[in-house]
Amino acid sequence: MEFKVRAYRFNPETDEKPYYKEYTVEDYPGMTVLNALIKIKSELDGTLSFRRSCRSAICGSCAMKINGITKLACKTQVSLEIDKFGIINVEPLANMPVIRDLIVDQEVFFDKIKAIKPYLLGQREDEAHNRFKTLKEGEKISQPVYDKSEFKNLTGNEDTPNCILCECCYSECGGVVGNKDYLGPAALAKLYRYAEDPRDNDKNGSRLVNGSMPNGFWDCVHCQSCEQFCPKGISPVKSIVRLHEKSVKNSITFSSGSKHVISIARSIGETGRLDEIKVAFESGGVTGLLNDLPVAFGAGLKGKIPPLRHKLIKDMEDIRLAYKELDLEDKL
Amino acid sequence: MITYAYYPGCVAQESGKELDNATKFIAGKLGINLIPMPEASCCGGGVIDGFDKNLKLFINGRTLALAEKEGLDIMTICNTCTLTLSEVNEELINNPESLEKTNEYLAEIGLKYTGKVKVKHILYAVRDDIGFDKLKEKAVKSLKGIKIAPFYGCHILRPSSAVKFDDVENPQGFEELIKALGGEPVSYARRTKCCGFQTILVNESTSTSLAGNAIYEAQEKNADVMVTPCPLCHLSLDTYQTVAAKNINKKLSLPILHLPQLIGIALGADYAEMGFSRHNVSLRGVMAKVRQNEI
Repeated sequence: MEFKVRAYRFNPETDEKPYYKEYTVEDYPGMTVLNALIKIKSELDGTLSFRRSCRSAICGSCAMKINGITKLACKTQVSLEIDKFGIINVEPLANMPVIRDLIVDQEVFFDKIKAIKPYLLGQREDEAHNRFKTLKEGEKISQPVYDKSEFKNLTGNEDTPNCILCECCYSECGGVVGNKDYLGPAALAKLYRYAEDPRDNDKNGSRLVNGSMPNGFWDCVHCQSCEQFCPKGISPVKSIVRLHEKSVKNSITFSSGSKHVISIARSIGETGRLDEIKVAFESGGVTGLLNDLPVAFGAGLKGKIPPLRHKLIKDMEDIRLAYKELDLEDKL
Repeated sequence: MITYAYYPGCVAQESGKELDNATKFIAGKLGINLIPMPEASCCGGGVIDGFDKNLKLFINGRTLALAEKEGLDIMTICNTCTLTLSEVNEELINNPESLEKTNEYLAEIGLKYTGKVKVKHILYAVRDDIGFDKLKEKAVKSLKGIKIAPFYGCHILRPSSAVKFDDVENPQGFEELIKALGGEPVSYARRTKCCGFQTILVNESTSTSLAGNAIYEAQEKNADVMVTPCPLCHLSLDTYQTVAAKNINKKLSLPILHLPQLIGIALGADYAEMGFSRHNVSLRGVMAKVRQNEI
């Protein structure tokens, strides 16, 4: 069966603007999008540029947009895409500048990975660590404290350390689309992985403090794209939410994001409902309130004013009991 | 007649009251019996697990148990409520430890959950329980000639491990509904992207640029109106549209409908019944076009 590949083409040195070029390719059973691109490059057009290496969904090189969604070309079957979309439309990853055709400049992505300090901080001086020092040559290294099971299902999904840095999540991230300085899902999932590593010796909680700064984990828009489109089944958004929870539990609550979450929890604990006015005030403070005044005034003129006082939901004592059972009353 | 435990969520009962009213209007016309849940609490606005993940389980497990006690499935009209209740449902069904822990709490308040409840957003309740063909038969106004941009948003589609109504890569439920009502669905890339609402009080610039660019793209594709299945998206897209326009430095003026309002128009509701005066961007132009379309 013949099918069409419509490829994004752009060489900044010679092209004024990007354009698309169509190729007709002959299918074979099990053909992947990467197979198709390699076939085009070797038989039809040697100038088509794209990254590739392992062909086994482990190196992360061939991530690109396929019919509008970021995927690994080597893990994507041509037949399934053709069934659904009738064509293979390939474009470079989003949220990064294009170097040529399907190749993007990854520098910013890796700068953000570096920014979260992807290595163990400090040195543990406890007994477990000292066992390392007394190892004899050839002796099996059993990692102290480190227990694989602690990482397993850390995110409620697959193993966070399985990240292959393919940038699929970064390309799909709504937070990065809205704010190019946002650290993004891969870096923040890695931040969580280190924040939870029992070997990490982050005595002053700097990971959570730095991550709570602007462009950090409170800027996640919760669009769920990172979890949905991770080719390794990792859920960065769940890692990010765990960082939120960890910050609140450790009273690192200077950010408006944490104030927002606490305010919603407080509102539910008081009335069982979400008090829109109170949450807006408590999240943004006076500055936020002043900033939102024109919107609030406009909405008010249209009659969209939430009640100032909320009736309790029926059986409100049930909700209060949940807070009591979970020992959350002092966090409100 | 099909009966649901009705979970409108907080916004539709407060600033987005027009959504609750429109839902009740179309439910009456379509024969959907909505049983109120006065004991149900807020789902936590999609962020409550950032405060405490067990609190998310407990309060939403309680909502599910309340519906199960009545032998009813839950109908939602908000994407985020849909996802939160669905996520908790999946967790309680698939993780015996979470179910046991939640049921210990529920036992203290005289409830128990066994995992029987289904959570369904109104878009897919209408598709699956009424059928778009039957909806078409009941319509008294055609949306012919009206270009309608469906804005799915995130939580009705993603993650597909929890919400399983449509094809996450190429959903069609919304388009099928629009076509059934005689309208013309506008195809645009941002129809499944984020409206940014979750950070609107935390990082307004990020939030409104997402909403603004979605509106702008639909406008460029000549949409007459955009429709959303979520009151939180509606706040971003309609209430904050002026701020979004300023942020992305583009002229924006696209009316935004709640999904039940779109159905309501086809079922003959008038301007006042749908609460259009509560919208930031006027619906008068769209309604004038519909008025000419007698079936």
